[in-house]
Amino acid sequence: MSAMPIVLPSNRDENWRYANLRGLARARFEPAPAPEATQLGDIAGRLPAALPGYARLVLVDGHHVAALSTALPDVNITHDVDAPEKSGADQRFANLNRRFRQGTCRIAVPAQAALALEVLCVATASSHPALDITLGDGAKLQLIERQLSARGDDSTLVNLHLAARVGEHAQFELARIGHHGAKAQALDTLELQLDVGASMKLVQVIEGALASRSTAFVEHVGREASLEWYVAALGEGTQHHDAFVHVTHAAPDARTLQCFRGIATGRSRVAFNGHMRVEAAALGTQTDQSLKCLLAGAEAEADVRPQLEIYTDAVKASHGATVGKLDADMLFYLLSRSIPPATAESLLKWAFVSDVLAKLPSPELRSQVAAALERQLPGAATRAWS
Amino acid sequence: MLVIKDLHAKVGDRKVLDGLNLEVPAGEVHAIMGPNGSGKSTLAYTLAGRPGYEVTAGSVSYQGRDLLALAPEERAQAGLFLGFQYPVEIPGVNNVYLLKAALNAARKHRGEAEVDAFEFLTLVREKMKVMQMDEAFLSRGVNEGFSGGEKKRNEILQMLVLEPSLALLDETDSGLDIDALKVVANGVNTLRSPTRAIVLVTHYQRLLDYIQPDRVHVLARGRIIRSGGPELARELEARGYDWVLNEAA
Repeated sequence: MSAMPIVLPSNRDENWRYANLRGLARARFEPAPAPEATQLGDIAGRLPAALPGYARLVLVDGHHVAALSTALPDVNITHDVDAPEKSGADQRFANLNRRFRQGTCRIAVPAQAALALEVLCVATASSHPALDITLGDGAKLQLIERQLSARGDDSTLVNLHLAARVGEHAQFELARIGHHGAKAQALDTLELQLDVGASMKLVQVIEGALASRSTAFVEHVGREASLEWYVAALGEGTQHHDAFVHVTHAAPDARTLQCFRGIATGRSRVAFNGHMRVEAAALGTQTDQSLKCLLAGAEAEADVRPQLEIYTDAVKASHGATVGKLDADMLFYLLSRSIPPATAESLLKWAFVSDVLAKLPSPELRSQVAAALERQLPGAATRAWS
Repeated sequence: MLVIKDLHAKVGDRKVLDGLNLEVPAGEVHAIMGPNGSGKSTLAYTLAGRPGYEVTAGSVSYQGRDLLALAPEERAQAGLFLGFQYPVEIPGVNNVYLLKAALNAARKHRGEAEVDAFEFLTLVREKMKVMQMDEAFLSRGVNEGFSGGEKKRNEILQMLVLEPSLALLDETDSGLDIDALKVVANGVNTLRSPTRAIVLVTHYQRLLDYIQPDRVHVLARGRIIRSGGPELARELEARGYDWVLNEAA
């Protein structure tokens, strides 16, 4: 393991302006050791119910735990030592992952094959899970990636790296759910490439951690690739959730749809920075960004930033960004139907993020997510889908 | 059922209700008519407790209780229903959830047990037949993408499910074609009972062709300036409001 100094990004870096990096200066990044066999029973008891139709892969503090995982021919665990680092502030957490990862889960779905897989990243201290995914031409992968703090009040640190290459006309559906402890720091870096006619749909629900930062780079390298990116972030207390997504259109006739819904209550802060770059060769590109935030606290803060950087004329690009409060007319309508104020507010918050939550891939997962949101949205989350 | 005495209310700095008096006994249907800007919708919103509608004087007694002391949801739980002129769309909250939550909140207030899913669906299906609504509406977001007529039907469906003691229907007939008007009127008529009162706010006589009112009131300049039987509505339809405004001046 390298003894090189740890260099973190700072808020002076443009793409990190809204990130909460304060708690990281004192953080311990060195990964926890592999879990003892005697701990596995306790960890198994904390895992969410299995999702029908999905194989399961369990990583504890970044270590693959075969005893809790399904054996799969398409998944190989390799031990990477000193994976090559990349330059730039946006790569700093990815580089920490490369330095500290305890192995890389390589998921290779062969051409025309299909796989439904749930990856559970359990953290007891610091961990650096790493997923390297390849979809062959025409392959289909439904991946649910969930992060869990082993104890609810743990100040865990998760720094995940996920790289994926989606082959020609392959389909990649990725659902990302965080079930972090109240003091947790959650960081991740995604690097994705979409080949000719490939499609990717990401649905992410961010809640629970004290601070989270999600950094993603997506590149349409093949023509007619399609990307749908749905993110819901729910902040409460003093939580701080920040996401940065950089999409590069490098090939013609590709499409990107981005939908962000953030709710900031209490003194929390939610932020989304969506940067679309359309290169000169990317004729016929279509992009649409819908970024909306709801402020539900006097000291809450929301930052949404749609950015378009276009180097060709033949492009259809639209974007909208709004920050507002609960709709008074909707609230009164619900009150006039006997709904108590707290429930009415919860329902409207639920409705606000429902565009994203409805995209979650399985009914069982939606129920589990709804149950997890019950604390933040009492009376609404579990009943709205009942 | 409803006794309003010398009610004054303002919206922002604008004084809208100016000494309004009205009494609606149980078992009766009253129609409130009046020119644009006379305060009809303000009256409905004020009675329902909409924020921003400030009562500056007067009293409202509902079933012997001080209605103005209750929060909006408490008024609804106590059996007051407002049918909106412009029902809002709430994407993400489906109709069936809203109906069930509203019904159970009202039942809980009355000390009754919540209805189970089977009972609820049986009840809703029965009411949907009355309103000639397709069950597919249940799974859609509240009023989401509904036409104007569908929204009004949905308001009356909610009313039928909730079975309020006092229904205030604010221009329920606006935006309805003649067939939809008949369906909505039929829905309202099925709710008539000796223990309930219904207040219809409307511009036009045509709704009253299908819902026979016991009393008709003219609201102008923030107060009731004339009251009469169903014949008053027909006279207003024939002569307009000028004559009654002039007489009241």
